Amino acid sequence: MPWLTILLALPIVGGLVLMLQPRLSAGAARGIACLVAPATFGVACGLLFGFHPNRGPQRQERHDWISSVGLEWTLRLDGISLALVMLTALIFMITVCALVVKFLPERNPAVYLGLILVAEGALMGLWLAGNLLLFYVFWELMLVPFYFLIGVWGAEGRRQAVTRFVIYTMFGSLIMLVGIVATGVFAQRVTGQFTLDIEALRGVVFTEDQSRWLFAAFALAFAIKLPLFPFHGWLPGAYGTAPIAVTVLLAAVMSKAGAYGFMRIGLPVFPDGAAFWQNTLIVMAVVGIIYGSVVAWRAPTMRLVVAYSSLAHLGFVAIGIMAIDPQAAQGAVLQMVNHGLVVAAAFAVVGLLARRSGREGVDDLGGLADGAPWLAGVFLMVTMASLAIPGSNSWAGEFFILVGAFRHSAWAVILASLGTVYASVYMLRLYQRTMNGPRGATPGKAVEMGGADWAMLAPLVAVMGVIALWPHGVLRATEHSVERVVAPAQQALNRPASEIKAAVPANPPETSLPLPGDPLPQPTSPTPNTGATP
Amino acid sequence: MNIAATPLIILIATAALALVPALVGPVRFRRDAPPALALLGLAAAGVMSVLLWGDRRATFYEAFRVDRLTVLLTLVFVVSGILTVLLSLREPAGVDRRPEYYCLLLCAVAGMTLVAGAADLIGMFLGIEILSVALYVLCALEVWRERSLESGLKYLIVGAVGSALLLYGLTFLFGVTGTTSLADIALRVDARDLGGESLLLGAMVLIIAGLGFKAGAAPFHMWAPDVYEGAPTPITTFMATAVKAAALAAFLRIFGAALIDVIDDWKTPIAVIAALAIVVGNVGGLMQSSFKRLLAYSSIAQAGYLLIGVATGTLDGATAVLFYIIAYTAMTVGAFAVMVIREREVEDGQSIAALAGLGRSNPIVAAVATICLLSLAGFPPLAGFIGKFMLFGAAADADLVWLAVVGAVGSVISLGYYLRPIYAMWAEDSRPEHARSLDPGAPVLFVVLMSGLGVLAMTGGAHWVTEVCRAAAESLIAP
Repeated sequence: MPWLTILLALPIVGGLVLMLQPRLSAGAARGIACLVAPATFGVACGLLFGFHPNRGPQRQERHDWISSVGLEWTLRLDGISLALVMLTALIFMITVCALVVKFLPERNPAVYLGLILVAEGALMGLWLAGNLLLFYVFWELMLVPFYFLIGVWGAEGRRQAVTRFVIYTMFGSLIMLVGIVATGVFAQRVTGQFTLDIEALRGVVFTEDQSRWLFAAFALAFAIKLPLFPFHGWLPGAYGTAPIAVTVLLAAVMSKAGAYGFMRIGLPVFPDGAAFWQNTLIVMAVVGIIYGSVVAWRAPTMRLVVAYSSLAHLGFVAIGIMAIDPQAAQGAVLQMVNHGLVVAAAFAVVGLLARRSGREGVDDLGGLADGAPWLAGVFLMVTMASLAIPGSNSWAGEFFILVGAFRHSAWAVILASLGTVYASVYMLRLYQRTMNGPRGATPGKAVEMGGADWAMLAPLVAVMGVIALWPHGVLRATEHSVERVVAPAQQALNRPASEIKAAVPANPPETSLPLPGDPLPQPTSPTPNTGATP
Repeated sequence: MNIAATPLIILIATAALALVPALVGPVRFRRDAPPALALLGLAAAGVMSVLLWGDRRATFYEAFRVDRLTVLLTLVFVVSGILTVLLSLREPAGVDRRPEYYCLLLCAVAGMTLVAGAADLIGMFLGIEILSVALYVLCALEVWRERSLESGLKYLIVGAVGSALLLYGLTFLFGVTGTTSLADIALRVDARDLGGESLLLGAMVLIIAGLGFKAGAAPFHMWAPDVYEGAPTPITTFMATAVKAAALAAFLRIFGAALIDVIDDWKTPIAVIAALAIVVGNVGGLMQSSFKRLLAYSSIAQAGYLLIGVATGTLDGATAVLFYIIAYTAMTVGAFAVMVIREREVEDGQSIAALAGLGRSNPIVAAVATICLLSLAGFPPLAGFIGKFMLFGAAADADLVWLAVVGAVGSVISLGYYLRPIYAMWAEDSRPEHARSLDPGAPVLFVVLMSGLGVLAMTGGAHWVTEVCRAAAESLIAP
C-alpha cells in the first residue's frame, strides 16, 4: 500500500470534501473532521512499525507527474520526516478534535475545518517530498489554507497581517523557485541528467559560487518561514490576529518547515554553500534569540509573549542545524518536536485565558491560581518546559544543541545561553502575572479547565513527559538520518573524519562515463570520499 | 490547389458571409445567423488546421507557411475567437451591430493566422495590419459609450505609431539583407556575418518597439489599461489573449528564427523589455480598484514573462513561450468571463468590489476565477506555474538568471493584486447594492467552465501539451 500517499491524501481529500459541500450539515462536517484527523494520526502511527532507523530514506513511492519540468511524485520517509509527521499528526488531531468539540467558529465551520485538514495534508507532503519541485508545490500549497484561515476568521487587522504574511513567504519561496530551476540546470551540466530528485542531487559537485548562491536562494525562503531574525516581520501580525487554533498550528507545525528545509535540502545538496553561510546564519539565529527574548519580556499581550518566545526557541533550532555537527543537529530535530508540543500547549493555555476572561493583556489578569489550581499546574509545567528547566523535554534538546555547537562555535553558544536566562525571565513573568499576585478582575474559577480543555492539554503534556523521560526514543529514530544530512557539509568544512559518521557518495559516480565536453579524467577525483561507512 | 491556405480562406469567406444575413430574412434569422456563422467558420478553420498538422506547406508565393507552429497558434486564435463569440452573444455591441461585429472578429482571426504563418516580411505586416484595423473598430463599436470611443481612438493612434515603427524596422531589415523572405534573411545574415551591423541594429530596435506596442510590453504599454478598460469586455478578452499571442508569434518568427544568428545583438534588449514589462505590469496592478484595469496590467506583466522565452533564443525558450501562451489564454479568458458575468449581474461589475461574496452566491464561478487568478500568479502546481517554471528554466539555461529572478520577484508583487479579488470573493460579504441579479446566460457559464477545465487539463496533462509545443517550436527553426 502507498501509505505515504495515503497519509497526505487522506486529510486533503477530507478537507476538499468539507469545503466543496456547502450544504453539508454541521454535524456531518464535524463527523468527517473527527474521523479524518485521527485516521491520519493512525496512519502516521502505522509508519512507526516497519521503520528502520539505520536505513536512510525508505518507503519510497515514485511516479511521473510532469516530467518536462522534472516534477515527480516522489515521497520518502526518513527519521527526520518521521518525527515531524508524528508531531503534525498529533497536533492536528488534538486541534481538530478540540475545535469540533467546542471551539468551532459560527461562520462556515465546515470550510474552516476543511482548510485545516488541507493544511495538514500539505505539511505532510512537505515532510515527505523527495523532489525539489514537489517540495515547492507543498510549500506553496500550505500557504493557501493559512491565508484563508487568517484572512477570513482572524481578528481585527487580519487583512494587513495576512497580506504581509503571504508577501513575505512568497518572496522567499519564489526566490527558492529560481534556485530550484538553477539547481536543475547546473546539476545537469555536471551529471548530464535533468533531475530535481533530492537524493539524486545529493553530492553533486557545484562550483563554489553556484553552491553559495543556490544555498542563499533556498536559505532565504527557509529563514523567512522559520523565521530568523531580520525576516520575522510577518510573525507578530500573523500569530496575533489568527484564530487561536490556527496560531497553534502556525507556531507548532508550520514554523518547522523552514528548519526542515535547511536539513532536507540546504545541508545535503549545497554543502559548500552551507559552510560559507554558516556563521552568518548562526549570527542571525543568536540575534533572533536575544531579540525575541527581550521583546517577549516586554510584550503587552500574552499571545505575543508566546509568539516571540517562539522566535527565540527557533533560533536554537537554527543554531543546532547550522553548527553542522551531528549531535547539535539531533538536538535540533528533538527541539523541533519539543517546541511544537510546548508552544501548542502554551498557546492553548493563553487562548483559554483570553477567551474566558475576554482580555489579552499580560497585566489584565492576576491571581488566577487561587480559583484555578489545575490550570495553574498545567501552565506551570508548560512554562518550565518552555524555559528548558533541567529534566524537562526541552532541556534535552537544548542541551544537545549547545553541546554540539560548543565544539565549533563556542562564542555562539555563550551568547545563545543568554536566551535560556531570558526565557526564565519572560516565561516566569507571564506565569506570575497571570497566576500569582493580587487577584485581577477575572476570578480564577471562571478560567478553570473544563473537560474539553483537558482533552486538549493532557495529551500534549503527556507526550512532553514521555520525551522528557525518554528523549532517546526520538534521538534513536533520527540518529542515522541526521548523520546522513550533516555529513556532506561536515566534509565541506574539513571536519576530522572521526566526526563524520555517514558516507558521502560522489555524484556523478566515479564509474560513470564522461559527458561530451568534459575534461579528460583527472588522476584524483574532485570529491575525496573520506567518510567512514557506519 | 494548395490546401495550406484553407483555414485562412474559410475565415475570410465566413467573415464576408456574416455580413449577408443582416440584409435578408426574418428577424430571428438576422439575429442568430451571424454568430452562428462565425462559430461555424471558426470551428471549420480549427478543424482544417488540425488536419494540416504535420509537414510544412507554403503558399501565396512562399509568403505564408503552414507548419506546426502556425497550426498550433491558429488553434489558439480560433479557440480564443470561439470563446469571444460565446461571451459576446448578449453583449450590447454584439447585439446592436451584429454583422459587423462578427465579420471584424473573423477578420482579426484571419490576420492573426497570417502573422503566425508569415514566411515573409510583407505577409507579416499585412497580417498585423488586418488584425489591428479590425480591432480599432471593434474597440469603438459601442459608439454610444464615450469610453469605448476613447478606447478605439487611443488604440488607433498608438497602434498606428506601433505599425509605423514596425514597418520602418522591416524596411531596414529589407535594406540590409535585400530580401523579404524570412528564410532568406536567416541565410544572408549568417552568410554575411552581419552581427553588430548598425543598420541591422536599427532595424531590430524598431521591430522590437513596433511589436512591443502590439504585445503591450513596457515601455510600450501605456495604451493598454485605457484601451482594455474602454473596449467591450469580450473584445478586451480577445485582445488580451489572441492579439498578444499573435505579437509573440511575430517575435518568434523574426527573432527566434530569422535573426537567430545575431542573438547576441537582440538578447539583452528583449530581456530588458521583458524585465521592464514584468516590473511595470505588476507594480501598476497593485493600485487598481477596477478588476478590468487590474487584468490589463496583469496582461502587461504576462507579456513580459512571454518575452523571457523569446529572449533566450533557444528551443526550450520557444517551447515555454508556446506552452505559456496556451495556458495564459485559458486563464485570462476565465478571469474575463467571470467579469462578464458580474457586469451583467450587477452595476459597476468591473470593479473588484463587485466580486465580493461571489464565493457564496456562485461557488463554481468563484472557484474557476480563483484557479485562473492563482494560475496567473504562478501558483504551483497550476498551469501558469508550470509555464513560468519552463520559462525560468530556459532563462537560467541561457545565462539569464537575473531575468528569472526579476520574474520571480514580479510574481510575488503580482500576488498583491491577484489575491485581492480572491479575498473579495471568498472573505467579504456581498454588498446590498450588488444584490440584484440578471441571468448572465448559459454561453458565458460555459466559457467559464471551459477555461477552468482548460487550466486544470493543462496542469494535469502538461506533459502532452509540452510535447506538442516542442514539436511546434522545432518547426520554427526547421529549414
